Amino acid sequence: MLKTVFLTLVTLAVAIGGGAASAWMILENVPPVGAVAAGPWTAFPDAGTPEADPYSRARFTREGGIPLGRSEGLVFTASRDSAERALRRACTYRIEGTIPAARLWTLHAADPSGMPLAPKGRRQAALHSGMILHREGVPFAITISPHPAPDNWLAVTGSGPMQLVFTLLDTPVSTGVSLGELAMPDILQVRCDA
Amino acid sequence: MLRLLYALLLGLLGAGIVHIAILFMLPAHSERDIWSRLSAAAPPYAMVRLGPNRLGGEIPAPVNPFLTAAACRFDLADGPVHVEAEGAVPFWSMSIYDSNGLNVFSISDRTAADGALDVVALDPGQMQRIRGELPAEFAQSVFIETGVEEGIVLVRAFVPDETWQGVVGRFFSGLSCTPRPVG
Repeated sequence: MLKTVFLTLVTLAVAIGGGAASAWMILENVPPVGAVAAGPWTAFPDAGTPEADPYSRARFTREGGIPLGRSEGLVFTASRDSAERALRRACTYRIEGTIPAARLWTLHAADPSGMPLAPKGRRQAALHSGMILHREGVPFAITISPHPAPDNWLAVTGSGPMQLVFTLLDTPVSTGVSLGELAMPDILQVRCDA
Repeated sequence: MLRLLYALLLGLLGAGIVHIAILFMLPAHSERDIWSRLSAAAPPYAMVRLGPNRLGGEIPAPVNPFLTAAACRFDLADGPVHVEAEGAVPFWSMSIYDSNGLNVFSISDRTAADGALDVVALDPGQMQRIRGELPAEFAQSVFIETGVEEGIVLVRAFVPDETWQGVVGRFFSGLSCTPRPVG
């Protein structure tokens, strides 16, 4: 009698404890699938949509949020530069290369939790396509630095790690088929403050 | 000993079932998704501006510094929902989220006539009835047929810089979300 009760308890403990623990572990620790990588940038086109796999969907609803729809745009994030070094706010980076077709794009710096960095005076740690200066015959580039820089400067404040968030608004990229062979700009480290 | 092994095996099988059950029940029972949080903060058809300083950070806000957003809840049982705004902003887009907070449909101002926001969301049955005779107030509208009965309409607008705050503010204060019962 007592043995049967004990065995039933063991079964239930393994089932409920093991099931809950494994679900929690996967949602907390395993990186999401369905990523589209382009150079240092990563996007999750299916995040927060019914097309996402059950794990991504469960993870997403636990965190909440309001993801952009496919016709609205696509968000790329980078937490490492093109040489795979973690992005730091004490460093100066250059963004060079081509930008996918989009009606508008925005680029901002955020802390690892995704909150935009504090503005430097009245200057936000963010740029959009309408603010970019293009020079004749000079390739397009953005300087991301805590120190002022000529032309296109994205001002970074604070210290510690950061991530860069590149949002393409109204882009054929997110609805098209060519997500795999997408060319995104490179992130090159120029120097770091000691 | 054999019975203990049997109990453990049964437990592992149960763990698999519990794991899958949690995975599929989580979206419906989550309290952090936009639907749950908006339900707690505002009645249906009330347009709520989403921002870091509004409603004590209860509602998720766009993290992009150049985007602002407003959202309202709707129930198509009350009739098609009509979303309208006056004024022109450089860019707007609209999404429909279902009651689990998943993005099921989105459009941008490219789809709309003259870039004006005038959208009607309805279910297939209402679409059939409206096709018969188009009500005058829907003459210019973009129709979105959706399988979602209860959901959220979320409108985003692009704010290029501070000087646009007034224009975008007027766009959002003129934004309406109304049920329009048909027939």
